[in-house]
Order: sequence, then structure tokens, then C-alpha cells
Amino acid sequence: MLDRDSNGVSLTGNLLQTSTNTLGMAKVLPGDIIGSTTTHLAGPGTHVYDSKICASIIGSVSTVSASASSKSGKPTLSIPRVPSRSLSQPLKLTTLPALNSIVLCRITRVQQRQASASILLVDASPTTLVPESLTHLTSTTASSEDIYFSAVLRREDVRLTEKDKIVMNESFRVGDIVRATVISLGDEKNYYISTGGNEFGVVIARSEEGNAMVPASWKEMKDAVTGRVELRKVAKPV
Amino acid sequence: MADKRRINGPASGTAIPIFTPSKSGAHTLQRTRKPNQLRKIYLQPGVVPTASGSAYLELESLCHPSSLLNAVPSSLKLSCVIHGPKPLPRNANFSSNLQLTINVKFAPFATRQRRGYIRDVTERDIGTHVETALCGVIVRDRWPKSAIDIIITILEAEDDVQWGSGTQQQNTVGGLGNMNVVSGCITVASAALMDAKIDCLDLITGGVAAVVPKDDGKFVHHLDPSVIEEPFLNSACVVGYMPARDEVTLVWTRGNIPSYSDGQTCRFDSLLDSAVNAAKGAHVILRQVATELAQAESTKLIIDESKT
Repeated sequence: MLDRDSNGVSLTGNLLQTSTNTLGMAKVLPGDIIGSTTTHLAGPGTHVYDSKICASIIGSVSTVSASASSKSGKPTLSIPRVPSRSLSQPLKLTTLPALNSIVLCRITRVQQRQASASILLVDASPTTLVPESLTHLTSTTASSEDIYFSAVLRREDVRLTEKDKIVMNESFRVGDIVRATVISLGDEKNYYISTGGNEFGVVIARSEEGNAMVPASWKEMKDAVTGRVELRKVAKPV
Repeated sequence: MADKRRINGPASGTAIPIFTPSKSGAHTLQRTRKPNQLRKIYLQPGVVPTASGSAYLELESLCHPSSLLNAVPSSLKLSCVIHGPKPLPRNANFSSNLQLTINVKFAPFATRQRRGYIRDVTERDIGTHVETALCGVIVRDRWPKSAIDIIITILEAEDDVQWGSGTQQQNTVGGLGNMNVVSGCITVASAALMDAKIDCLDLITGGVAAVVPKDDGKFVHHLDPSVIEEPFLNSACVVGYMPARDEVTLVWTRGNIPSYSDGQTCRFDSLLDSAVNAAKGAHVILRQVATELAQAESTKLIIDESKT
């Protein structure tokens, strides 16, 4: 963090000059023109005004060259949201879950047909997630309904095979941290998530005794202290 | 029966103090700034670590040391906190746009006339003006099914009336203090939105200008007028202005535009232009602060990456 004095700016003299862009660096501010729609596509963190692509948030512009799948063949301009996080600060959720985004969530309720979860992190990569912040996530016990977005994991979305034999209680328990993918933006309240796939499932769980558990197989986790085995839909360790 | 949920005052009551009017008349200061010069602005984003975005704004105090015993002219001190985006409340209907909740509250000690703890009409009115200004700048369709709370606390503000004078002055437009508050609220909320990384069309700022009569019968436009410095003014105007698009999202004018005298043009749009110029002045500060914030974030990211 900058100290207080270096960030406070005072202003004297004639103020009627309009501000000029003297940044010189790749830092952009909301309203700055960063490209044209004739040559680029507008990505996250930008908006289009009068066929010009403008920044919507502060940050630096990143250009993703056109992939083979995109029809237009234009590179995409976007401003990535730096996760505003430091070790002393709690994590901030400044992106919304989108289709196919990978989320980390905490199971809040397990029923016969579905499980409910709170979305804690969206599109977090291992580099943005340090162990300290994970302990912060798991230790939160306060009612999180009004802080976190809620998600629903239906029974048929738990895994891809043998869908008729899935038992929710043998896949998740309340409090598990689950890596999942968003399959639908859902109704007015819930997002729909799925753990179909090897890399999705429980990443952090505690046993009945309250000890941390380690993955033993794709459907079992082992208590690190007592060695007792519990059933989970386990994510493949990365 | 007494209300048990509140702390009630003493049963006997006390007599309110009544002050004699000051002999020196209204406590005013001579405006020493140029007509187009703003008060100095202090703006700091990210003051509340637990919020998604926050900012603090302070205007230079015009207080002279000799006047400490008399009515102290207060400046403006605002703090803004943004919570969210967070899920809509349980009973809310589906909305594909971001829902804004703006809560403007005077601290009880903000003005010489103490404020209550429950929001009154003035605070709700200021909140409506700020909401009008911010609705035009936030890209609300980026955040479906979510809401943000913008909470602005006014820690210090100018009084709307001159203190120390027994009689109401002529030729004065009320509400100039509130206009300064609206302008400051827009600027501080803009800084907090930027800190929270909420998609915005531009860095919006607020500006105030007033038409002030001169001794020779002419009129002059003062930017960023202060209540204590302007005992007489004809009209005042506050705008919320987006410089990159040259768009105005809020206009609030009070008073009347003086009639032409000896051919001098004094029109509404020239007052509006002056208010826009005041907003441009504040924008210089906001832009500088935003640049520093962007640079601080990128260096923090580099440090974090080198640690991991």
C-alpha cells in the first residue's frame, strides 16, 4: 500500500485546463479509448462506445490474439481484474460466475436430489490462491447467504458416469470445499454447477473427527490422523 | 408508557440554550481564491480493507486560526464504502441489472446543527441525487442477479445557513452546503467504484458553480463556492460530469438566473458550463489518484508473484 502522503494530491492554480493523458504507460482508466471495433473485439473490463472500445475499470490492457474458433478473426482487448488480495486482506469477489467458469465453493446443504453451495472464488488459479487464504475460507462459519452467491449441484451433475447410482451423502458433506464448473446461470437465485470430470470434486474436506483428509481414490478420502476412509467425489489433485 | 427499546432522555427535561446573536453579524470570510479556483482536494481510495471498494475525500478547510472561537467554518469530509457485488436479497425479484443501494448519512456531529441517527429528508434527497448521477455511469448489465451497497458517511459538512447572524439574509440561495455535499459524494463514490473494480463508463466527478453578484452590478461565476465565503449568491448549480464522453448525468440548480444588466450575458448554460469546469478540476485529481492506484496494484502483483 502506498503511504497516506504520497497518494493525497493537492491542486492549486488554474483548474480550467482539461486533463490530458500523460500516462505514457499501459495503465488505463475508465473512459480511456483503447481500440476500435473495426480491428478488435471488446472483452471483459471494456465497453464499446461509438465504435470505440473503452476501458471500464482501471488496470492494464491485455490483447488475446484471435483463436481459430472465433468467427471474426479479430484479437480481443480486455482488462483483467487483478484479484485484489494480499495476505492481510480477505479475498474480494469482483467477478461474477459465468458459463464454464471454474468455481470453488463450500457445500452448505446436502439433500437427496441436490446439494447447495456458496461460491467462494471464481476462476481462481493455483497461483492466485495461497494456502493462507484457503484456511481463511474454510474457517468461516458465519452465515454466508448474503455475502456469497449460492449454487445448486444436482444429483445427475455430480459425475459423468453411472449417474443413476449417485448417492449425494456419499459424494459430499456440509463444509466440503468443492471445485466445480458453472453449467448454467440458473434462476433468480441459484447458479447451477457440475462436478462432472476428473478435475472436479471435493478438494478440501474434514472427517467426522474433524481432521483434515487426503485423497485416497476418486471416491475416497482418508483421515490424515486416524486413517479412516470416508466417501467423497474427490477432485484429481493438481 | 415509555419506549423501552430506546434510551429515553431525563424525565424532567432540560432547558435549551439560547445564544444571543453575534454583534459582528454573520461570520463570513472573504473569498481569496480566484473565481475559477477550487478548494484543495484530498482523495484516498482503499481506506477500508474489508470492503470491496472505499474512498475518503476531504476539502481544504477555510478556517483561519483567529476565528477558532467563533463559528468554525467547516470543510467537507466524506467517506464512501462499497459492499458487493453480492447476491440479491432472498425476497427480491430477478433483475438482469446491478441493483444500486445508495445510503447517504450525515454523522450526528457533521454540522453545527446536530443530525439524528435516522436518515431524514435531506439525506434521502441527497441520496437520490447521487443515485441519479451514478446510475448513468455504471455499466449495470454486467452484473446480473447482484446488488451493491454504496454507503456514504458525511463526517463533516458545511452548514446550509450562516451562523452567528440573527436575521435571515436577503438574496441568498439555500442549499449550497447540500450541493457541495452532492458534488463531493459523486466524486468520492466514483473513486470507490474504481477501487471496487465495478465497470464504469467513465470517471465521473461532481462540480458546483454559483452566480455571485459583484458590487458594480455585474455577476461573476464562482467555481466550488463555499457557504462561508458566499453570503450573497443568485443561483447555484451542481453537475455530475463524465469528461471522456462530455456527458452530464445530473443537473441540480437552485435560485434564479439574474436578468441581463448592461448587456452582460448571464445564462443558464453558462452557469452549467462553469459547474462542468469545476467537475473537470476535480477530475484531474481523480485521474491522478486512479493512475497511482493502478500502478500500486501492478507493483503489488509483481511482488506477490515473486513471493509465490
